Amino acid sequence: MLPTIQVNDDKCPDPLTCRKCLLTCPTRVLGLGTNVAPKKYRETPPGNFIVRGVRLQVCSACMKCVEICPNGAIQVTLDRGVAA
Amino acid sequence: MCMWCERYGEGFERWYLNPANYARRLYKIRKEEIDAAGAESNPQAAGGMLGVGREFLEAQDRGDTETVERLRKAAHDFSWTIHFGQVITLEEVHQVLEFMYPIGLMTCACRRSMRGLPDNENFTCVGMGPGMYKWERWSDTYRGGLSFLKPEEAKEVIDSLSLRGLVHCLYTFGTPYLGGLCNCDYPDCGGLRTVLDMDVRVVWKGHYIAEVDTELCNGCALCPKRCQFKALSFSPSALKAYIDPMKCFGCGLCRNVCKVNAIRMVDRATLPTVANVW
Repeated sequence: MLPTIQVNDDKCPDPLTCRKCLLTCPTRVLGLGTNVAPKKYRETPPGNFIVRGVRLQVCSACMKCVEICPNGAIQVTLDRGVAA
Repeated sequence: MCMWCERYGEGFERWYLNPANYARRLYKIRKEEIDAAGAESNPQAAGGMLGVGREFLEAQDRGDTETVERLRKAAHDFSWTIHFGQVITLEEVHQVLEFMYPIGLMTCACRRSMRGLPDNENFTCVGMGPGMYKWERWSDTYRGGLSFLKPEEAKEVIDSLSLRGLVHCLYTFGTPYLGGLCNCDYPDCGGLRTVLDMDVRVVWKGHYIAEVDTELCNGCALCPKRCQFKALSFSPSALKAYIDPMKCFGCGLCRNVCKVNAIRMVDRATLPTVANVW
């Protein structure tokens, strides 16, 4: 059964600096990306970095990312949106 | 024979030893292809998930092999046109560094995506060719900056990365334009993850297979932890290293640590059963 990982971007202002969830995930399920394309002559602002569940097939729903997030931005649900 | 050597070798022993595949001419062509595919605007692109998303994972999860195969083929077509890699040995890296120009040491996008690794700990990637001249224009792609290296300096850097246990792969940016020399490990490399976890071949096996000489192997067991491909194990019954030729990517990392030279690299083409296993 594939879990669904939802990240509330409003509660996750600077994942590039925080990166607690990325470091705690034992199987590297989460990925860090940006929600804008790169722009000439400037770095992407921290607010445009986002965390997403990517490699969901290796997620064991251990909830370590949910627990470690200081802002409670991550939600991991199993089948049909039922909270695990 | 390797499909890429056939298509782009132009008489050279390997397609990646053909200097034409690093040329400015190809760099210009590739730009349009990548723009058309929208790859640069895809947030998952850097994580190696190019063309493989939730739909693929769900199909795999419910055992729908037909859909999995269809999506896998689509991912192959996309990746092989735009961006894929092939594993090469340390000697071959040295050969490539001799003629490819310029050489830019930069931060690894995969490790940033997987671990949010700070730039100063992340200089494990080498960008090559004319694309490097524009690095100041694209501050986000080249986060942490870029330093140009002489071939001799680059060899030293690559040697130390090899010692750390990183596998060298050449990557295309608009095939056959070769623009990246990645130094990868499982599980932090998006490419290796995609090929090993999902059998979507965004990284091709190299031209060699590592072979153990069991007479020479002294069972020191230094080599198994060097294998990023789950091809090398230590046999507790024989007390020797064991290499599965079907899984071996031919990177040569195990051979590099073998103190008694019990591992040698054999040309894939000489072994009929694996000659076409890429």
